[in-house]
Amino acid sequence: MTEPAIRASGLQKRYGDVQALDDLELTVEQGEFFGLLGPNGAGKTTFINTLVGLVHKDAGTAEVFGFDVEDDYREARDRIGVAPQEFNVDRFFPIIEVLEHKAGYHGIGRKEARERAEDALKTVGIWDKRDTRFDWLSGGMKRRFVLARALVSDPDLLILDEPTAGVDVQLRHDLWDIINRMNDAGTTILLTTHYIEEAERLCDRVAIMDDGQKVEVATPDDLMARGTDTIVLELAEMPRTAPRLDVEGITDIELTDEGLAVTAMGGSQTAPAIMRELEAKGHTVNSLEIRRASLEEVFVDMTRDDREYAEVSA
Amino acid sequence: MNANATQFLTLVRREILRFVRRPYNTFLPPIITNALYFSVFGVILGSRIGEIAGVSYLQFVLPGLVVLGAISDSFENASFTIFHGRWNDYIQAVLTSPMSNRSMVAAYVSASALRGIVTSLLIVGVGLVFTSVPVANPVYLVSFLLVITTLFGGLGVIGGLWASDFDYLTVMNQFILRPLVFFGAVFYSLEVLPAFWRNVSLLNPMVYMVNGVRYGMIGVTEIDPNTSLAVLTGTTVVVLSVDYLLFKRGYGLAE
Repeated sequence: MTEPAIRASGLQKRYGDVQALDDLELTVEQGEFFGLLGPNGAGKTTFINTLVGLVHKDAGTAEVFGFDVEDDYREARDRIGVAPQEFNVDRFFPIIEVLEHKAGYHGIGRKEARERAEDALKTVGIWDKRDTRFDWLSGGMKRRFVLARALVSDPDLLILDEPTAGVDVQLRHDLWDIINRMNDAGTTILLTTHYIEEAERLCDRVAIMDDGQKVEVATPDDLMARGTDTIVLELAEMPRTAPRLDVEGITDIELTDEGLAVTAMGGSQTAPAIMRELEAKGHTVNSLEIRRASLEEVFVDMTRDDREYAEVSA
Repeated sequence: MNANATQFLTLVRREILRFVRRPYNTFLPPIITNALYFSVFGVILGSRIGEIAGVSYLQFVLPGLVVLGAISDSFENASFTIFHGRWNDYIQAVLTSPMSNRSMVAAYVSASALRGIVTSLLIVGVGLVFTSVPVANPVYLVSFLLVITTLFGGLGVIGGLWASDFDYLTVMNQFILRPLVFFGAVFYSLEVLPAFWRNVSLLNPMVYMVNGVRYGMIGVTEIDPNTSLAVLTGTTVVVLSVDYLLFKRGYGLAE
């Protein structure tokens, strides 16, 4: 049986009064493009750092391709390439040497390490900056370099902690292309992001985390289907008050400037019954528009509490 | 070459390149400092002191200055590289790799010991400008230099893991190491001390290091070199074991 790329069970980590990971259960299959969503402080980075050895768990187990991240840490880490959110790059050396060193730490000989470093810089499009130190790169190039460093060991599991934070649209699309090519070639991707659009567009499945726990795991489409869609109906004669409709799944009905707005779970499935009910009550429907719930709305619904969510839609 | 050796040698190479490419920060200071020591203590004052233990004062202080440079630089190298890597988080590139904890410790300590030995040779080179440099017991000289630079590379690892600010590094080097060395019989013979202070001096581990290297260079010692070497070797093994356990626990490295 094929081992999952990541398997976490009962994972716990506490910092003082803060329970960063609270019995986290999560499985990521090999070859998946898996998204990890959650507000700040949800435990995403703590989880990632547990996998790569920068955080020691208090309880539970975490495995990478069947290797325990603490007992078999060498085997587990050899399979992981990580691009962290913060820039943690050796400032003493030109970037090509930083990549050679990283490859060497993974046991790759000098000649091959050089070739891999060159390939990685070409892949992310900063080959001409190879003899430059990290501090002298632009912000976008720094982001590209961190990805190159994650790629240089040819990992089976690529962990990207907000790889496109603060980059322009063009670079974001470039990075998406690179990551997608890696995934198409069989690399498992674990992506954390605050850009919901990124998760919708790239991920096979997403997990929504909050308070150190997994709230839900599903495909982006499944999650969106669980959200409340809005069905806007333009009637031939608009009633003075919103009619009462006896259709399962409806959560709200109101009259708006655009027409009759019906909020319902699974808009596509509910719309025909709504039309039949309206016609049965003597209304004529001239037009109908289904506005699907966005993943962002579902995310906010699932993680809503007293915290600020400004960053979610950043 | 197997993967373990490649990993170890990559980190050693990285560490060596770091200090070799910055000679103005790493090798020039001990050259200038020791040239000043030799000028003042050896030539100007030494000419008035005469011989100690049958050699010129300059030849007498040279082993102590070699020890001072060797342990300062091996300690400074390990503590700085680890603390700076923690400070800027780039040590994570090593920590998240499949290198074993044992290899990481061995690489940091080896490179630091090498820097201490290179500094020793540079100090001897400066000494040659002022006087002849005898080597009475080369095996002891090499053995003592290897052990003390490894020991202080290992202590530097602990310092680098413990430090939470750059000030800590200064405190360790200036307020702990240097006073111990200066009161470690670098510039004087234990024989000139009153009995009480001579006995107090024997509690200072630097005395054993200075006397060991002095035995290797001029063949004179006030302490049995074999005992010194055995105690220092034992201490080094203990310190390296502590280094390994700290890395394994992730002290200062992981949350």
